[in-house]
Amino acid sequence: MSTELIRNFSIIAHIDHGKSTLADRIMEITGLVSDREKKDQLLDDMDIERERGITIKASAVTMNYEHAGKTYMLNLIDTPGHVDFHYEVSRALTACEGALLVVDATQGVQAQTVANAYLATEAGAEIIGVINKVDLPSAQPDITAEEIEHVLGIKKLDCFHISAKTGMGVHELLDAVVTLLPPPPDNSDKPTAALVFDSECDEYRGVICYVRVFSGELNIKQKIRFMGTGRTHLITELGKFTPKMSPVERLSAGEVGYVIANVRQLSDITIGDTITDDASPVDKPLPGYVPPMQMVFSDFYPGNNTDYPNLRLAFEKLALNDASFSFIPQNSPALGFGFRCGFLGLLHMEIVQERLERENDIDVVQTAPTVSYEVITTDGRTLKIDSPSDLPDTTQIEELREPYVRLEIITTTDTIGGIMQLSESRRCKLIKTDYLSQNRVMMQYKAPLAEIVYDFYDLLKGISHGYATMDYEFIGFEVGDLVKINILVNKIPVDALSLIVHRSVAENRGRKMLVRLRKAIPRHQFEIPLQVAIGGKIIARESIKPFRKDVTAKLYGGDVTRKMKVLKRQREGKKRMKNIGAVQIPQDAFMSILDTSD
Amino acid sequence: MNSKKHDFKSAGLYVHIPFCQTKCRYCGFYSEPIKKHSSQRLISAIITELTEKRGQPALLAPSVVEGSNVEGESFFQTIYIGGGSPSCLPTKQLLRLIGEITSQWPKPEEFTIEVNPGQVNKDILSQLRTAGVTRISIGAQSFASEELTFLGRRHSVADIGRAVRSAKGVGFDNIGLDLIFAIPGSTLKSWKHSLRSAIDLGVRHISAYALTYEEQTPLQKAVETGKVTPVDEETDRQMYEMTIDELEKAGFNQYEISNFAKPGFECKHNLNYWANNPYLGIGPAAGSYWQGKRTLNIADIKKYIDGVEQGKTVTAESETPDNIQVACETAVLNLRRRCGIILDEFKTQTGFDAAKLFAEPIGKYKKLGLIRTTSKRLCLTRKALPIADSVLCDFSTT
Repeated sequence: MSTELIRNFSIIAHIDHGKSTLADRIMEITGLVSDREKKDQLLDDMDIERERGITIKASAVTMNYEHAGKTYMLNLIDTPGHVDFHYEVSRALTACEGALLVVDATQGVQAQTVANAYLATEAGAEIIGVINKVDLPSAQPDITAEEIEHVLGIKKLDCFHISAKTGMGVHELLDAVVTLLPPPPDNSDKPTAALVFDSECDEYRGVICYVRVFSGELNIKQKIRFMGTGRTHLITELGKFTPKMSPVERLSAGEVGYVIANVRQLSDITIGDTITDDASPVDKPLPGYVPPMQMVFSDFYPGNNTDYPNLRLAFEKLALNDASFSFIPQNSPALGFGFRCGFLGLLHMEIVQERLERENDIDVVQTAPTVSYEVITTDGRTLKIDSPSDLPDTTQIEELREPYVRLEIITTTDTIGGIMQLSESRRCKLIKTDYLSQNRVMMQYKAPLAEIVYDFYDLLKGISHGYATMDYEFIGFEVGDLVKINILVNKIPVDALSLIVHRSVAENRGRKMLVRLRKAIPRHQFEIPLQVAIGGKIIARESIKPFRKDVTAKLYGGDVTRKMKVLKRQREGKKRMKNIGAVQIPQDAFMSILDTSD
Repeated sequence: MNSKKHDFKSAGLYVHIPFCQTKCRYCGFYSEPIKKHSSQRLISAIITELTEKRGQPALLAPSVVEGSNVEGESFFQTIYIGGGSPSCLPTKQLLRLIGEITSQWPKPEEFTIEVNPGQVNKDILSQLRTAGVTRISIGAQSFASEELTFLGRRHSVADIGRAVRSAKGVGFDNIGLDLIFAIPGSTLKSWKHSLRSAIDLGVRHISAYALTYEEQTPLQKAVETGKVTPVDEETDRQMYEMTIDELEKAGFNQYEISNFAKPGFECKHNLNYWANNPYLGIGPAAGSYWQGKRTLNIADIKKYIDGVEQGKTVTAESETPDNIQVACETAVLNLRRRCGIILDEFKTQTGFDAAKLFAEPIGKYKKLGLIRTTSKRLCLTRKALPIADSVLCDFSTT
């Protein structure tokens, strides 16, 4: 088949702007799903995604669409819509020639709209502006179109006005996909090169690679080579998602589909790798993806040390379906054996946490998330520090660098003051302010990631009454005047409670941490001193008074079963905590140290 | 059948009388106003249940199970009629019940009845004594009248003294008082007064309970809605410490967390619970630990009576603890006694070596000075008593 009749495209949007609804409508119009078998938001196949309204994994579906007497093959590659998943969005966009940028007419351009547009441009995809929800009474399609033109440089007259919900304008949009987006280049006579843009692990079939063929073709039983890893495999199944898996004999240049080739584990393949023919390979792999960049790290320890192997199994299982999640064994003097886990961002971390809880019955103690630091040692080495406890002694540190991001905040003009105050308190530097329309503004900052990664978004939402949106992208490491805060619980230093912060706020933060911990650690049978130290010097103390009374007054014949249950519950409660010496520290205490509110 | 489960030294019989004249606002036990029901029918049902259970092999003494029946020997070493308030029953019905029990098990080692000080007089007490009751437990609760009012008790402070003197007058020597501390509005001073008053009455046994806010009681609701403020934890603690100090000074031995007795006057029936020996509970809402099974009867007088009359089971809940559970229950109950776990007995009774089974909490709590061990026993220290649950919970599972 000629590539002339193929269109590969993605839908990109700010969260809740209607991406998944549009995907559903497109599949309905192209006859892929009938009304009856339609489930809302077909592309989201994980429970959590559905519950949170977020798509985690990129999925791809192939559809046929008639236009001007010709049948086109449309490959729709779904993308996640949240700030943490830049990497996955970029993977999907590289496999496309075009993207539909959906903007909610009641909300206007939002931070992720801008971020996604940048990613699409970087990936070389053509963008079609789409204004959604124009049927709603509160829709302001003209203002939205102005914003799109102003911020993204897409002519307002070229934007499509649709209602993904009712289907209004979607036909016209599909016509535009065919007429406005370029077909993939026809390289079918060249050696085989296919890009792995996503993968998934199926319990029975092993790893399923989502691929975009750029040149040559993939055939069933072909011996292929993954150029990055050098591994060779025999293709056992090829197919397309319609949206069910439908096997085909061949995938040609320009096409999108899946490859199954006896790959057992996700870790055996690299996203962004190029598949080529083992006998007649291409000279160079396709320009691959940037590997996922884990920005947020947190340690996970089993509540009960004997659960360590189970925790490992659970993480292995999670990693099977999430290539952007990493975990390495970690041994903490205070908490014992556990894992240092890396995430794309905080939301990604929360999703992994939830899956861990949902799919496994293991009590886990998790430390406060931290960003990754760079240390230049006095002997000239560069170290990557993913946990405050790994920070070398100050005498060995020449330079301590922290990650910075470009932060975009879109908000209403009346909330600028509050947001500027918040940003300043978080060491963010305003780069520019850009008015999108009369009452909406985009503020661009250079921000230390550590300052915005934890509660910044919630505070932003609070200040702006829910209107502001933000997105950020990593730009690099920069030197900072940073110090480590150490906490001692019952005179024992607890590495998992230490924090790296800017010197200017260290003392204040340290005191706050103690107050938080005093509230978060339950009273014990004895008094617990809490101390905070900066650079080896104790700067503040608190103490947790012991409880004075905890005894069942009456226990006679009829009460035994009930009282035993109460005692067991009390014990279970203790078991969910982590023992540090004789002190039991609950999970939320580890998190509480990040809370900076008053 | 697991012979171990029958290898016990003693067994108790408990009869629950779920009647009260009025319900006290703090009480979490099952009871209903007596006016609403026929006490004659209830007592008949209780006697029927008792007789039926007697007919079951499990009721027979171990010696009988093994084929060497000893005629005339009471199988139940202890008998206890509690409530509710048994003393609110018409005397005729109460005596009918006692008569039935003693005709089946004459001369138990101890036969206790709980009485409300406002509901007894010399005449009734004398009849109880003649019928075979050996021990009187009086629900005094407090010697401060405003505290009695707060609790919703209908008796007066003077009633307590009268009841004790009457009981003594008709020949009872073994008299116990129940007291409650940490009642909202009470103070260290008022509590000391109650303790002293109880001591001065010359009773042999005192149970002193911190007021417990039981779920679903009017008192609990009053706390939730802010109408009642519980005594603060520190005062509660001091009241408890004072209890131990004052009673020990007066010659009482603390033999359990909340129980104090003059030497030889410990309540044998209750010791049987803390030894985790078997007992049979009869009547609505009564609990049993029999043949390795923990059961609870229906907590509904009408359903109970109907059930018994129609020959249906009146068991509402049943659980058979496994060997480990039995060991844990035994440990928790034993540790409430000041004598703690007697290692040999524990081994014989449960098959487990307590020192090994609970090595972890023992190690931890010895360090904190909350547990003391000798070659023969394992017990809570005095320091551990006010916070016993925080220690015992680590013995509730392994």
